[in-house]
Amino acid sequence: MSALGSLRYHLNVSLLGNAYLRLDRMKLDRQMRQPGFWKDEHLSPPLRVSPWLKELITRHYLKGRHANDRFKVAWVTSGGPVEFLTALGYYVLYPENHGAMCGIRRVSEDLCGHAEAAGYSRDICSYARTDIGSVLSGKTPAGRLPKPDLLLCCTNICQTVLYWYQVLAHHFRVPLILIDTPFVYSEARDHDVAYVKKQLEHGVEVAEKTAGRSLGHKELKETTLRSKDAVELWKRIIETGRHRPSPITAFDEFIHMAPIVEMRGEPFTVDYYAAMLDELEERVAHDVGAVRNEKKRLLWDNLPIWYRVRQFSTLFAKQGVSLVASTYTNAWGELAEHIDPERPIESAAKVYMYPILNRGTGDKLRTIRRMVKEYQADGVILHSDRSCKPYSVGQMDQRRRLTDELHVPALLLEADHNDPRCFSEEQALNRLGAFMEVLEG
Amino acid sequence: MTESAGAALRIPGRREVLRSHKEKGGFVAAVFPIHYPRALLRAFGILPMEVWGPAGVNTTPGDAHLQAYTCNIIRNGLSFLLSGGLDEVDLILVPHGCDSLQGLGSVLLDFIKPRQQVLTLYLPRGDANDAGRAIGFFADEFRSLYKSLSAITGRKPSEPELLSFIAQEEAADQQRSVLFQQRLRLPLTDREFYRVLRSREFLPAEEFVRLAQETLQQKVETSHSGVPIVLSGIVPEPMEVLDAIWRAGGIVVGDDLLCSGRRLYPPGKDEDPFPRMAENILLAPPDSTRGSSVQERIEHLQKLCEDTSARGVLFYNVKFCEPELFYLPQIRKSLSGRGIRSVEMETDLSEHLPDQMMTRIEAFLEIFQ
Amino acid sequence: MSTEIEALGIDAGSTTTKMVGVTSSGRLAWHHLEPTDPQIEEQLRRFLEISRKEAGPAALPLVGTGYGRNLVQPADRRVTEITCHARGVFQEMGHGGTLIDIGGQDTKVILIDNRGSIVNFVMNDKCAAGTGRFLEVVANRLRIPLQGMGDVALSSREEESISSTCTVFAESEIVSLIARGHSTEHIVRGLHRSLVRRISALAKTAGLIPPVMLSGGVAQNAAVRDILSEELGQKVLLPRYPQLVGAYGAALIALGLPKTPQAEQRL
Repeated sequence: MSALGSLRYHLNVSLLGNAYLRLDRMKLDRQMRQPGFWKDEHLSPPLRVSPWLKELITRHYLKGRHANDRFKVAWVTSGGPVEFLTALGYYVLYPENHGAMCGIRRVSEDLCGHAEAAGYSRDICSYARTDIGSVLSGKTPAGRLPKPDLLLCCTNICQTVLYWYQVLAHHFRVPLILIDTPFVYSEARDHDVAYVKKQLEHGVEVAEKTAGRSLGHKELKETTLRSKDAVELWKRIIETGRHRPSPITAFDEFIHMAPIVEMRGEPFTVDYYAAMLDELEERVAHDVGAVRNEKKRLLWDNLPIWYRVRQFSTLFAKQGVSLVASTYTNAWGELAEHIDPERPIESAAKVYMYPILNRGTGDKLRTIRRMVKEYQADGVILHSDRSCKPYSVGQMDQRRRLTDELHVPALLLEADHNDPRCFSEEQALNRLGAFMEVLEG
Repeated sequence: MTESAGAALRIPGRREVLRSHKEKGGFVAAVFPIHYPRALLRAFGILPMEVWGPAGVNTTPGDAHLQAYTCNIIRNGLSFLLSGGLDEVDLILVPHGCDSLQGLGSVLLDFIKPRQQVLTLYLPRGDANDAGRAIGFFADEFRSLYKSLSAITGRKPSEPELLSFIAQEEAADQQRSVLFQQRLRLPLTDREFYRVLRSREFLPAEEFVRLAQETLQQKVETSHSGVPIVLSGIVPEPMEVLDAIWRAGGIVVGDDLLCSGRRLYPPGKDEDPFPRMAENILLAPPDSTRGSSVQERIEHLQKLCEDTSARGVLFYNVKFCEPELFYLPQIRKSLSGRGIRSVEMETDLSEHLPDQMMTRIEAFLEIFQ
Repeated sequence: MSTEIEALGIDAGSTTTKMVGVTSSGRLAWHHLEPTDPQIEEQLRRFLEISRKEAGPAALPLVGTGYGRNLVQPADRRVTEITCHARGVFQEMGHGGTLIDIGGQDTKVILIDNRGSIVNFVMNDKCAAGTGRFLEVVANRLRIPLQGMGDVALSSREEESISSTCTVFAESEIVSLIARGHSTEHIVRGLHRSLVRRISALAKTAGLIPPVMLSGGVAQNAAVRDILSEELGQKVLLPRYPQLVGAYGAALIALGLPKTPQAEQRL
């Protein structure tokens, strides 16, 4: 990080980049306001904040391209306690979000191929294969990913990230901060929370050493407060889905959730979600549904099928089916109340043990049941994601109880979140078709 | 190859051991993989009997709860439970070891709810030497387990009692080390050797010590010949894999298996039994399920190959086992750079070794012959 | 009858059974090939009869390889097809490289160094989609003779992309494509692409030591060679008798064996 590097960064990102992105957003805004812009008869037009989302994400990756010139860079797992890194001025990159972007852009299969050619089995998580493939080949739709100075791995989403980040640590030869969160089979105990807290404190020390500076208490408090605000707004955004018709679908949420994961703690994230919430409340006030002719409402469990998000969105909308909620996007909203900016490290120990993936299968069923009621869902789609065992194991029992005890139609859909080779189009469409018929009848 | 004396060793079967223990008024716990404090269970009069598979179980009962892309360690184990295989045990312990074991524990607790009480145990990941955080947590986890076991059995073993049970387990683990050290001079086939080693999974520690000593008495002057290899992976099931290696002219001289070599628990130092038991486990050889670094695993395997003069490493993995699969490419590349050849194979814990597997083993050993 | 044959090798494959006789200098002097008979023991006896007619009654060292190697009773030794293929191709080509053997029911990739030693090997023996069986099934569905599939594929520059990763699903996909009026030639080329992609993915997993060499029954399919060359970005070399590589290697190993009384007993 030299003076020249800093200058390069300012030129490319702060000046040129920002200007370009601002113009692009204005252009898109204008386009969206043209009459005849949106022709789809089944889906309402995209939210007016969408160009802003594009700007945020694009800028994030633009920053990333030049980040090594100006910042210390950390690669972080999606459930990682990022606040202290953001407060220390790290640029944070989320390989999982990058992976999802590759899935959406249909390049994940190729990237997985690179990892597989290096000997990584097809039986490991497709996010990991996408990421490792990108690291080994240098290919990314983002142009260039910054090299990490530090890795942060939190096992609250799965143990797979543990092995994945050990592979990255070996490849990049950088320090790895591990936040090992004990699994909550029924409830979190005092010694679980104490253990996580100690690891967080140690993590802060390692991050400070790598950054070459100390963590300011005030900065951490402010970052945590912004995180809390953003998460609370996200919660309210999701809750608008309770309205009939729902102003938003889970497919939209999958796309709009990027900032809450990869830019949490930033002020613009709070502004963005505030604007998004306003727009959704406006839709609610005018009974505007994301699906124009909403007849049936569904809940989605597990990760999205990234390479089919748009197609599924259209497919469902054509049948008047609105995916009004998902346990995946809800996972963020649930955390809001536990975040305490006054005691950021202590509350983080509780918050980061709490995500749905760190809690038992019975708890997930309770969450699904509650959401079915709150969102008035007519059915549930359980994506049996080959790559995600913590999310998928338990679904067979959950599905049975939903249909047998709750009399809620529930479909187990076999696929993979990022590997299209594990997805059989014919089979999936057949199953979905039959499921829709069950909903009708 | 030296004449085998394995047939002469008498190893009691699991049912026999179970019944004998229960007749004496003890409890029996079925323990799923991987790491757990044996001494703690024994102190409560509970005999732990481990469930690794078993191989060849019909997975239909388990398939109703666990998807096909989960490993057979949990699918066979669950099917075994659901078909009555664990009917005689008093309680079930499912330690946390990976996402699949996590799921198994959770599904048992929340949905299947077997007659026996199900207990879980979290395994801390990361460096045990790192300011003792992991040891401190694990000790607390054992104290919590102590309370549960106390409620179940009505007993309250004292600290000196716990320490004596710990000493007993440490002695048994020490015997395992000695068996490995003397491997080449024991007139046993690989399968016979592993039958002895693996009896640690269900025999009381003191009986294992006796068996180990009996085995060691059979030591001969001449060493085995045969292509020396290291076996790495989870568990050598079906045990036929060891026959296949033996028949093809190989001999397993080094063990990086989760069920044996990676559980060569060293004796601890702490005088408080709870952190002592934590030390035993957390200071064991590098293990992917404990989140050891890739470098640690590479160094351990290299040293193992050097110490045993092994010609190559056979990575014998259970299909879908992510903890193993992630590490393989970097480990294999590093070993190859040191002139150590390796081969990967996958098992689904079926009853018999498929022909394809035999071919791979033979082809690998042919490289050195 | 030829008295120059000094050793024999039998490759008892799942689809075809091959036998090779080599001279004292290791030259491939004679061979015999038949589709594998379910009555394999009877077939092997017949092979030995035929070899005696060709090579004379003297007992010759014999090595058995292939899927059915354990059934080759009179063999002096049984060696896996991996070792035999490496030996056979190294002797013939004179250099190491990556041998891809595409059999009827399995596919092997063997990495051979400059001294003929095996560095690594991987096999696909669980899934038909990356083996000769894939072409057989789809040829059947399309009612094209298997031997003609390569030519049909080569006759087209365009190809229909086949998305199914499974042979069974690919069959349904073909039916659907034909019903929608797509050209058979385009489909056949697309099927070859599918097969080759799976094979090259396997090859990349093993690592690639140039040059790439091809053996097995499917090696005779020129379309597979061309498309494989394209996918791997390098030339693909062919030994003179691609199907005999395993039996040849077995015979070479037999040549190197010390003479034993067992060989006498075979008469």
